[in-house]
Parts: sequence; C-alpha cells; structure tokens
Amino acid sequence: MSFLVPCPRCGPRDAYEFRYGGELNPRPAPDAPDTTWSAYRYSRENASGVQREWWFHRNGCRTWFQAERDTRDNRVIRAWVVEASPAR
Amino acid sequence: MTGRLPPSPLERIDRERTVTFRFDGREHRAFAGDTIASALAAGGVTVLSRSFKYHRPRGLLCCTGRCPNCLVQVDGEPNVRACTTEVRAGMTVKHQNAWPSLRFDLMSLTGRFERLLPIGFYYKVFYRPRRLWPLFERILRNAAGLGRIDTRSTPVMHPITRHLHCDVAVVGGGPAGCTAATEAARAGASVVLIDDGPALGGHLRARSSPVRGGGPIDGLAGHAAAARLAELVSAEEGIRTLSGATAFGLYEGGLIGITQRQTLVRLRARRTVLALGTQERPLVFTNNDLPGVMLARGALALARLQGVRLGASAVVVIEDEDGAAVADEIRSTGVAVLAVVDLRTGARLERADGGGRVESVVVSDANGSRRIRCDLVLVATRTEPVTALFAHDGGGRAWSERFGEFVAAGRTEGVLTAGEMQGPRGAEYAVAAGTAAGREAAMECGHGEEQAVVAGRERTAALLAAAPAVAPTPIPLDGSGKRFVCVCEDVTAEELAQGIDEGFDDLEILKRYSTITMGPCQGKMCHVTSARFRAARTGQPIGVAALTTARPPFQPVTLATLAGPHLSPVRRTAMHDRHAALGATWLDMGDWKRPHTYTTVERECRAVRERVALIDVSTLGKLDMRGREAGAFLDWLHPNRFSDLKAGRVRYRAMCDDAGIVIDDGTVARLGPERFFVTTTTSSLDAVDQWLRWWLAGSGRDVTVTNVTSHFAAINLAGPRSRDVLARLTSLDISRERMPYLAAAEGDIAGIPAVILRIGFVGELSYEIHVPADYGADLWDALMSAGRDLGIEAFGIEAQRVLRLEKQHLIVGQDSDALSGPLESGLAWLVKADKPDFVGRNAVAAVSARGPELALVGFTVAARTVPDEGASILHDGALVGRVTSAKWSDALGRTVGMAIVPAHLAVAGADITIRAPGGPLRGTVTLEPFYDPAGAKLRS
Repeated sequence: MSFLVPCPRCGPRDAYEFRYGGELNPRPAPDAPDTTWSAYRYSRENASGVQREWWFHRNGCRTWFQAERDTRDNRVIRAWVVEASPAR
Repeated sequence: MTGRLPPSPLERIDRERTVTFRFDGREHRAFAGDTIASALAAGGVTVLSRSFKYHRPRGLLCCTGRCPNCLVQVDGEPNVRACTTEVRAGMTVKHQNAWPSLRFDLMSLTGRFERLLPIGFYYKVFYRPRRLWPLFERILRNAAGLGRIDTRSTPVMHPITRHLHCDVAVVGGGPAGCTAATEAARAGASVVLIDDGPALGGHLRARSSPVRGGGPIDGLAGHAAAARLAELVSAEEGIRTLSGATAFGLYEGGLIGITQRQTLVRLRARRTVLALGTQERPLVFTNNDLPGVMLARGALALARLQGVRLGASAVVVIEDEDGAAVADEIRSTGVAVLAVVDLRTGARLERADGGGRVESVVVSDANGSRRIRCDLVLVATRTEPVTALFAHDGGGRAWSERFGEFVAAGRTEGVLTAGEMQGPRGAEYAVAAGTAAGREAAMECGHGEEQAVVAGRERTAALLAAAPAVAPTPIPLDGSGKRFVCVCEDVTAEELAQGIDEGFDDLEILKRYSTITMGPCQGKMCHVTSARFRAARTGQPIGVAALTTARPPFQPVTLATLAGPHLSPVRRTAMHDRHAALGATWLDMGDWKRPHTYTTVERECRAVRERVALIDVSTLGKLDMRGREAGAFLDWLHPNRFSDLKAGRVRYRAMCDDAGIVIDDGTVARLGPERFFVTTTTSSLDAVDQWLRWWLAGSGRDVTVTNVTSHFAAINLAGPRSRDVLARLTSLDISRERMPYLAAAEGDIAGIPAVILRIGFVGELSYEIHVPADYGADLWDALMSAGRDLGIEAFGIEAQRVLRLEKQHLIVGQDSDALSGPLESGLAWLVKADKPDFVGRNAVAAVSARGPELALVGFTVAARTVPDEGASILHDGALVGRVTSAKWSDALGRTVGMAIVPAHLAVAGADITIRAPGGPLRGTVTLEPFYDPAGAKLRS
C-alpha cells in the first residue's frame, strides 16, 4: 500500500500520512427501523470498484475530506473538502 | 581456478592495496576492489556453498548477484551474496548449509536417499507413522532455512531510510538506461538513475568487442562505450545517480523501493523507465551444477574486472552471435577454449563429470558424441529479458513468437520500458529505445518537445520492426542423472517431469508442488526454463499466462533495512526533570514517559489519603472547544448533557460511538458562554480529536476544536490538606463555599495563569491545575515548597491506580472493552433518556430495552493474593467473566478489584470464583466504592 492520496489542502501525499475513515455510511434517522440501524453499524458495501470514502490527513493539515477511490487499483480519482450540509 | 591474470586496464582492483579477511577460519588475501567471491576464486576456493536439499557442492555460477550459489554468512549477517559484496578488511566469512564442513558435509547423504525426498516430498513422506513425526520434525527443522541468525549478537546492521522525489526514475545503467536518463535530463526533467553495478555501463564494462550502432558509443570497444555512457550521465546536472543500488520493487503511486548497501531509499517518481536489459540463465544438462560450470558473461566479468584466472581450458556453449563474441573474449583471458558448442547446429552439451568440480564433458553433434577434458564449462547461450520488476505494478510480460522469449510488453500509466528487455538485442536498439523512453517520460512530466518525442518513437519502432526473428533452440526433455532446473531448491528436470505427469501441469500449481522459483533467486535462474519445460512436456503452447506472478522484492532485502533505524519519539512532560530528580521509575504510556513510583506505593497512597500529594497529569488530552454551538455539539457527542452546564462548573463525560460502546471519558469545564475545556484520556486523545473533527466535517456547526494538550502542563493536587497548600499560592477564593466540588475557575497560582478544576480521580479533596507548559516545572516547585511543612509528596501512576480502584473509578479500555456500553460499565446514571438523538442513542436504547447482559462490578478478596488482570471468573464451573483491575490496598487491608460479570452476579455480596495460578480465589461483589462510599471526602 503505497498509493498517493490527493489531499485537497496539501496535494498528493503518501497514503501513510492519512487515516482511512471508511466508505461513506449515512447515519439513519433516529426513528429508522432496527434493521437499518444494525446495517449502519455493522455492514459495509466493500465495493470492488470506485467508492466514496472518508480520509483524514493525520500527519498533515488534519482535515477530514471525502474521496473517490478505485478499490481495485487504489487510484484516488478525486478528493474534496465536504461542504456544509445536514446530510453530508 | 587459481591466481590472477596479468594486470589489465579494464580491471577494477587496486593491486597496490591488499586487505585480509577470513573464510571458514582461514585467512585470505584480497585486493581493494575485490568481491568476496573474486578474492576466494583467485585464492583457489572453488566450493562456496552446499545446495539446499541434496547438499551438493556448489561454486560460482552467475557472478552477478542473482543465483543462490555464493550465499555466505558475513560477520553474523546471513545470506550475503559473495559475488557482489566487496571485501572489507577483517571481515569474517562463513559458509552456509553444510555440516560439519564444506568439504565433508554429512547432509550430502540426502543425495543417496533421494527416493525419500521426491518432488512434493512433504506431502508424501515423513508423516507416517505419526508417532515419529516429532523426530522427523526436528531433523527437517534443522535442515530447513539458509543461514543462522545469531540472536545474541549485537546488531550488525545500522540501516537508514531516505526519501527521494523526481520526475523520471531510470532503473538500469546500461546503454538504454544511461541514454534514457540523459535524454530526460536534457529535456529538463529531474532524474534519478538507479544501477546495481559499482559503475555505469552494465554488461559492457567487461566487454572488449566493438559496439555496433548506438550513436555516441558506436564503434567503441564495450568497456570504452561503458565509460562514455558514464561521462554522458555525469555531464547532466539533472541526474542523480545511485550506484550499487538495487530497485527491489515497484509499488503503487510511482514508489520504487531501493536498497543501497544498508540504506533503504523510497523514491517517488512521476514516471519510471525500466531499462533492465537481459540476464544469463543456466543450461539444463547432466551435472549442470558442478563447480566449474559458469554463466559465461558473468565469468568474463570476473576475469576482466577482478583479474581472476578462471581456469585452464573450457567448453563454451553458444546459440547466437553475441555468444560467439563472448567465446572469443574468453580466449583473450588466457583460457583455452577447446570447443564451442553451437546449439543452433543441433550440437548438445550432454553432461559434465568430475569429483567435486568439472573434469570433463560429453558433447554430441551429427558426428556422434565425444568426451573433452576441461575444467570449465561456460554457458554463453542467449540471454533472457529481465521482466519481473516490470510486472510488480501491473506491467505486461508476453511470449514473443518473433524473439522466442518472454519480453516486456507495452507500458503502464507510470512505467515505460526501454532496450533489450523488449526483445531486440544490441546497442543500436538500446540507445534508440532509451532515447525514446527518456524523452517520452520527460514529456509526460511537462518537459521537452513533442517533435523530439515523435522522432524517438518512430526510430525505435523502425528498429523494432527490422530486428531479426530468433528461433529458440528446443529445451532437452530427456537425459540421465541430475539435471537441475532450479539450483536454489534442487529441483531436477526429472522431478519436474514427474510432477507434470502427476497432474500438476499448470505452472502456478507446479511451482507450489515442486517449490521451483521459490528459493533465494526467486526464479531468476529457473522461471523461464521451467515454463519452457512445462510447455514442451505437456505439448501446450507456452503463450498466455505462462509465467507465475512476480511480486516484490525482485532482489532479497533484509528485514532490518525495511524496518529502518530504531527511532521512536519520546514525549516528556514539562516536569520530567523534577521526577527524575526525585528518583522516579518510569512507565511508557504511548510516547509519554510517566513516573511509575517515587518511593513506595504504600507511602505515596498514605500521603494522598492522610496529608497532601501531587501527581503530574500533563499527559491528559486537552481540547479547547469554542463556538456558538459548542454546547449543542457536546450534547450530540455524549449520552449526558452539557449545554446546561453553568460557566464555572465541571462535569464528567463519557462518550460512545454509534454502536453504543464507551470510547473515552474525561471532563468538560465551561469557562465561558461559548468556551469549553475538554479533557480526554492520555491514550485516546488523538482518536477523540479525530472523532470530533469527523462529526464537525461538513456539519456546518459553529464549533472550533483546538488540541491544546502540549500547550498545558497539569498537576493534580490531592489530599485533605490540598486546599491549605493551594490557598498559600493564590488570591482566588478557594473556600469550600466559593469553590465546591465540580467548580472550575481561572486565576493565578504562584503568579502563573491557571485553569483550576475541583475534580479528582483518587477520591480526595483535590484540584486539577492546568498552566501553560513553560511554567509546568515552576508550578511543581511552588506547590512542593508551599506544602513542605504539611508533608507534601509526589505520587506516581501506580499509587493513583490503587487509589482510583479503592473508589471504583473506571479506566476506559482497561475496565471496559469493545462490548462495554455505558449500561454495562456502571455509567447508567449518565444516560439521559429524555435527550433527543445523540451518538450511540439508538444502540444504548436497544440495550436498555432488553436489559444489559454484563456489568462492571467491584470485588474484594480476603486473601493477600492479587489475581492477574484478565483472570477468568467462573460460575458453576463455566467461564462467565474476567477481572479487569486488581490491586492490593494497604489502606483497606484487602485485595480490591473490578470485574466484568454477568448481570445476575451484579449484586452486592455475591460470591465469585476467580481462576488463579495457586488455585481458585473467592471474591465478594461490592457495588459501592470501597473507600468513602458516600463521597464525603471528595466534596469536603
């Protein structure tokens, strides 16, 4: 694992500088059924292909941002700082 | 093989400077510039090792650092390649894999019992009868592996790690690589050139035949061409050359792993040009592993560069024009070439014979076979493209019908290839392809001119199209005796044939069954040969997917090199020197050094309980949180509420994730309407900081979090007399009325601006005082001198752990685990069910609805025995829980602890059984704190 992650603030850096924050996993509404909450807590898509995920530039600007990465070859297609929105 | 040739201008040794070293106890002489192998060869040592399985004597084979034959132990470091390692004065070299000695190796008896070691023997023998397996295992374990690591010795390596960046990396310092580097640099790219030889020029360095074509080197003798290439490279300021450096792996993101002696270089290149050329490979014939059988170009380099006299007479095997030229050059090193066996004519080298080294060979052709007496067999057959490195990061290796070999095909986004590894041989093509690739790579980094790129590409394409086709000589399937395909693992052609006949006819499967390509050389000597052998044996075309997957490392790398220097950061608090002066013993907590004890645990506990004492708590995580929505954000993150916390008050906090698991605890102090001071546990700070920032990212909340951990030093002053001590140092009114339990204040202490929190982990009247870190030591000194007449003392982590346990105060991560929610951790009082949604609410509500299954409880043991943390708790003979903390409490005269038990055992007075080494212990569940259950002292 030596791919580069294009931090939206710092530019391309070694993946070791980052913490991987997992694929995007929207939080259910408080009154969603238990099965939805259970899936949110314990299930992931684990896609083979392009997925959206969270990254944190731990040894850098310490910004959380989102990125699209192809899990087959670890190419990060794009990365962006999340704009304020209730749904994220 | 003894002695040296007369001095020659090509040689790299300095005959004026001699050094001595030891090999297997005997002293040897070497010249500066000698490798271990060249010095030993010149000194008449023909056997350097014994083979892995049959323990057959083995001598120098490839002389280029690729085969396993010269692996030796050097000054305690195993598996050093003697043929590429320069001699240092005083080095101690030992053979490997022979016992008791190289000359007389008892393990060579395995050759006599080869029916016990058939292909795939570990699936077939030794496992029956089962009762004998322990014996077999001992023997096999002893025989397995190469070299010995001396675990008692001091480290023999001192590795360092370097990071480099460039536009274009070029791997390989032959004609193609040097040209690619030069062209890329001329276009304006920053270039790193990696070459594994001591000087640039590749195989040309040892050759005298004139180079044909190749622009600036056209017409020069090989060694002169090499020198010219080195000049051209050094004339370019944009090139950084790493000589004696091996690129062992290509990784994602343009990362190249390189070792240069004991240095690991992590090179990031935007584009990489591989110009690895070709390498020699052994020929399959009977007894092809006898010492004296050598790969011809490697042997020639040994003669030319180190002046080693290879032998008296040789038979040379060739199959192309370059081989014929090599045979001629061998003659010029004083070796009588008695026969040149040209495989293209149908001639064959049938076998070599000799006792311990080559004495004669049998050669056959249309006129029959004849025996020739000689002491050398030099294999100068067609070389093969070096393609494994290219395959590491997705590069293609394809069988070329035209060239009759596997070649590097195409490119990847980041990696280009150039030169002979693409198929065509000769300097003319290498230089053209290097030019094209260098320009192309530079262009893709934004340097150079499109026109030049196109011109280079077109010329290379034209030369490629014009390159003559090659018909490879067929691989001989039949033969007698031991014909080794794989010299690392001692796999013979006969064994491979047997494996294929048993049905293991796919190369990946055959590899796993026979261990072919899995030895130290990783297939450099046998990969293509075994693929060709399999194709011939099965009658299948060699074609698609015929090679097994190539993975890093291309050449062996020591783990020490990869690990790098043993450096880890150490964090010291502002009061570190004070602790040291008091004779503290240390405890490592993460990167922090914390005082474990100063005097004795009992004495320190008494000081806290009876008088006054202080502990350095600077390592606590500290976050400054501000903003209009800071209170609401804290409400969101916690099961309890903070928006209603009044300025000047502190509240306990414990935080859950959305699975309802407790992930951290600490305190929140409100220092203003929109200003909170949050503390976290020492070890969770970074995780909590990230957690907060993650919930804030894109939320639009008006909250700013600043990690101020290093900005503040902190002391907890605890004990019944702590107010008296503090009062002497501050003008703040810290009376019980004005600063009660859970009050927070800002003010000066001993003239230092401080945040003072009336909280305590140890259950006494106590103050947590945070001051700017620069004043940490001053605060310590001020408190110490103010409390001297009251008997103030310092207490360490161990005393704190006893004291907090007497109060049953939880340590998250020690008394909780990945299944502990607030309801299972004695924190039910914290959860505000009337609160709207918060992180973990859904999960905690679910646990609440069905009732928690586990509970964190206190327990006491009447005996003085302290159970281990983690000890099992038994109930009705079944394992139902575990001890999370346990200490001897001198004050209470009992062992006290906490444990996770089933909810039905969370009843005061319940009996629990704790498994302990000396027999089960009886414990009694206690739900209240052991010390001051009402908390009167805390509030005093």
